[in-house]
Amino acid sequence: MTQVDRRTFMRNSIRTALAMAAVGSLPVIDLMSAPALAAEMPSLAVRKGKDIQQLLQQVISALGGIESFVKPGDIVVVKPNIGWDRTVELAANTHPQVVKALVQLCLDAGAKQVRIFDRTCNDERRCYTQSGIRAVVEGIKSDRVSLEYIDRRAYQELKISGGVAFDRWKFYKPALEADRLINVPIAKHHSISRLTLGMKNLMGVIGGNRGRLHRNIAESLVDINSVIHSDLTVIDATRILVANGPQGGRLEDVRHTETLIASADIVAADAYATSLFNLKPEDIPTIVAAANRGLGVMDLKQVRRV
Amino acid sequence: MKQSSWTCARKISQSFCLAVFLWLFLQTEYRGIDQLPYPVSLLFRIDPLAALADFMAPGAFGWQFFWPALLILLLTILFGRFFCGWICPLGSTLDGLGKVIGRGQRAFSPGWRRVKYYLLIAMGTATLFGVQLLGLFDPLAIFLRSLTLAVYPAYNYGLNRVFDFFYDHQVPLLSPLVNNSYPVFRDYLMAFHQPVFVLGLFTLLIFLAIVLLEKVEQRFWCKNLCPLGGLLGLCSRYAILQRTPQGLCADCHECDSLCRSGAAREPGHMRSECLLCMDCTGYCPEEKVKFGLRSGSDNNLGIDLQRRGVLTAMASGVMIAPTVRIGPLTHEQNPYLIRPPGAVPEAEFLQRCVRCAECMKVCIGRTLQPALFEAGPVGLWTPLVVPRIGYCEYNCTLCGQVCPTGAIAPLKLPEKKKNVIGLAVIKKDRCLPFAKGIECLVCEEHCPTGEKAIVMEEKDVLVNGEMRRVKFPKVINRLCIGCGICETKCPVEGASAVRIINEGESRRKRPELLAGPYG
Repeated sequence: MTQVDRRTFMRNSIRTALAMAAVGSLPVIDLMSAPALAAEMPSLAVRKGKDIQQLLQQVISALGGIESFVKPGDIVVVKPNIGWDRTVELAANTHPQVVKALVQLCLDAGAKQVRIFDRTCNDERRCYTQSGIRAVVEGIKSDRVSLEYIDRRAYQELKISGGVAFDRWKFYKPALEADRLINVPIAKHHSISRLTLGMKNLMGVIGGNRGRLHRNIAESLVDINSVIHSDLTVIDATRILVANGPQGGRLEDVRHTETLIASADIVAADAYATSLFNLKPEDIPTIVAAANRGLGVMDLKQVRRV
Repeated sequence: MKQSSWTCARKISQSFCLAVFLWLFLQTEYRGIDQLPYPVSLLFRIDPLAALADFMAPGAFGWQFFWPALLILLLTILFGRFFCGWICPLGSTLDGLGKVIGRGQRAFSPGWRRVKYYLLIAMGTATLFGVQLLGLFDPLAIFLRSLTLAVYPAYNYGLNRVFDFFYDHQVPLLSPLVNNSYPVFRDYLMAFHQPVFVLGLFTLLIFLAIVLLEKVEQRFWCKNLCPLGGLLGLCSRYAILQRTPQGLCADCHECDSLCRSGAAREPGHMRSECLLCMDCTGYCPEEKVKFGLRSGSDNNLGIDLQRRGVLTAMASGVMIAPTVRIGPLTHEQNPYLIRPPGAVPEAEFLQRCVRCAECMKVCIGRTLQPALFEAGPVGLWTPLVVPRIGYCEYNCTLCGQVCPTGAIAPLKLPEKKKNVIGLAVIKKDRCLPFAKGIECLVCEEHCPTGEKAIVMEEKDVLVNGEMRRVKFPKVINRLCIGCGICETKCPVEGASAVRIINEGESRRKRPELLAGPYG
C-alpha cells in the first residue's frame, strides 16, 4: 500500500471537495430540486431601528429596490399575518406600519393593484380591525389598494407534485393568480413548529381543514410553499412573541427586537429569524425540510448579506 | 274598498315600524364596533310581556329599560289596542302576507276569542310560580325568533346561491354586475357568515302555521291566540277612544263582514277586540263611522271570560310548575348545558329569558343555538353554547348587550374575559397525540387566554413499538373559561376530541375553595 503523506492527503481532499462543489452547482441538480433555488447566493437584508417606515425602505433598497420585485402594472398580493383578534402591542399580527410602508412602496413602483388578505383564525372582521391593519389601509386612500375578506368561493384544489405530506390541497386563487406575492409574516413562538415565520404565514392563503397540517407540519408547509411561491419575504420582527404563541395575549411575552428581515429566499429569511429567538435554523424542522427539498438556503454562510 | 286618511296613516305606521324593526334586526350584527351603536332590542323594550317576565324575575324591575313598554300599556289604557293595528311587526307581517296568500272568511265562534286571555292567564300564573313561558307565545318573540332562526338564514342561503351561480358561471353582462354588488350585500344586507341554526326548520314551520291561519280567518292569531293581544285587550276595556256608531246600523251590515277583528257587532263595539285599523272609517258607505273621545252612553261589548274558564286557566298555570319540575334538574345532569357568558344562574335564567333569539342573531361565532330539550322541558328556544358549531369569541360582549331581560347580563370586556362558562376536557380516546401518537396542537394554538389554558407537555411514549417524544395537550383548569374555540377548531373529524362541559361556571353559586388543588 502506497504511503500517503499529509500534503498529498490535503491536496486530494481539497480537489475532491472542489469537484464535488462543481458537480453540486451544475444546473441539472438545480432542476431536480425546486424552482426557488437560485444559481447564485441569495441575498438577505437585515436592519435594526425604531422608524419602521425607514427600516422597510432600507431593507428593500438593500435588495435592489422595490423595482426588482414589482413591475408597473403588476397585481401584487401583500400577505401579512392578520390571523388573530389581538391589538398591535400584543405582537400576534404583522405590524400595520410595516404593511403600510410596503403597500406604499408597491404603489410607488406602479403596481396596478395591491391586494391584502389573510384567512384568519378568529372572526375576520374583528382581526382586520383589532390588528390596526384596516385603519392604515383605509388611511392610504388609494383605489389601487384593497384589504379584502377571503372569498369562500375562490379556492381551487391543486395537485402538489412531489408533495410529501399531502398530494393535493385547496389554494386561494387570488394568491395564485397575482403577478407578485409579498409575504409579510411576524416572527412568533409556536408550540409545534417552534416558530411561525414566512413559510407558515402562507397557511393564510390555503383552504380546507388547516388543523390537519399540524400532524406533519414541516413537510406540509414545504408542500404548500412549493405551490405558492413568495417573491419577497419581509419578516416583521419589530416586536416578536417569545411564548404563548402564535396568538399571545400577554405583554410579558413580547420582545421589542426592532428588526426587519427581507429576502427573495423565504428559507434564508426564516433561517435568519431564528437567531432572534436564540435558536439555529437546524432547530426548526420546517426550515430543515425546506432546505432539503431545495426550496431555499438555510445555511446562512451560503447567503449574501446585503 | 275606499280608504280613509286614517287607514293610510295606519298603513304608513305599520310599514314604518316594520321597516325600523327590520333595520334594527340587520344592525344586530358586529360591524366593526365592539359596542353596538343602536338600541337593537327596541322591540322588546316596548314589549309588555318581556316587561312582565322581568318584573316577575328576582331582583328589582328594570324601569330604565322597560319604561317604553309601560308607556305602551298606558297609551293602551287610554286609546285601546293601537299597538296591534299600528305597530306590532307580526300583525303587519300577517296583514301583508294575508294579502298575498288570500284570506279566509270562516266565522268562528266568539268563544275562540277567549283563548288568548286564558293563555295569558295561564302563562301569567305559571310565571308567578316560577315557570316563565311567556316568550313561547309572545308575538314579538315569535317574530324575531322566526326571523333569526329561519327566515333570515333562508334568505341568506338563497342570495348566496344566486351570487355563487354568477360567480361560477360567466354570464355575459350579468356576472360582472352581480359580482360587483356582492360586497355591498355582504357588508350591509346579508349576514357576514351564513347563519345556521339547529331548530331552523322547526321554528319556520311554526311561523308558517301562524301565517297560514290567515287562510282560515283574517288575523286569526291576533284575534284568538295572541297573549299580548289579550293583555292589551284587558287594558283597553275602559279606553276613552270610542267608535260611533258603536254597533251596526240597522240598514247596513257592512261592518259585520268587513271588520278584520270582528269588533263591530250588532249590539255594540267590542273595544278590547278592536285593533284600531280604522278601515271602517273608509268603507262605511255613509261615511258615518268616526272615532272620538267617549261621550254619552257607552255600549262597549266586553267579552265574558266566564269564571269557570278563568279558574281553569289559573289552575293550569299553577299546575305547570309541579308538572315540569317532577324531572331531575337538567342543569345538574346535562354537562353540555352551557349558557352564554354573563348568563345568570340557571333557575333565574329560565325565568328571565323570553326566547327572543336576539343573542343568537348577534353571536359573532355562531355558537349560540336554540335548545330543544337540552335545557329541560321549559328550556325550548333558550340559547345554548354549542362549541362544535361555533365558539364564543374572546373579545366579544355582544350577547349581553342585546339581551332585553337581563338573562345574559351585560359584561364589560375585562369581566367577560374572566367569566367562566365551562371547562375544556380532552377526550384521550380521540385526541391524536393520546390516541395515535400523532402531533397536533390546534387546541393549544387557538386558546385565547393570555396565559394559555391549554399547554403542551412533552412525554416519551411507546408508539407502535418505538419510543417517541410526543407533545400532549393539557388543560389548566384555573385558566380555562370554556370559550370552546378548541372544540370548534379540533381537526378530528366528527365529534371533537376536546369538549366543553359546564363544570366550574362562574354563575353557579357555591362556596369557593380558598386553597388546595383548585385554588
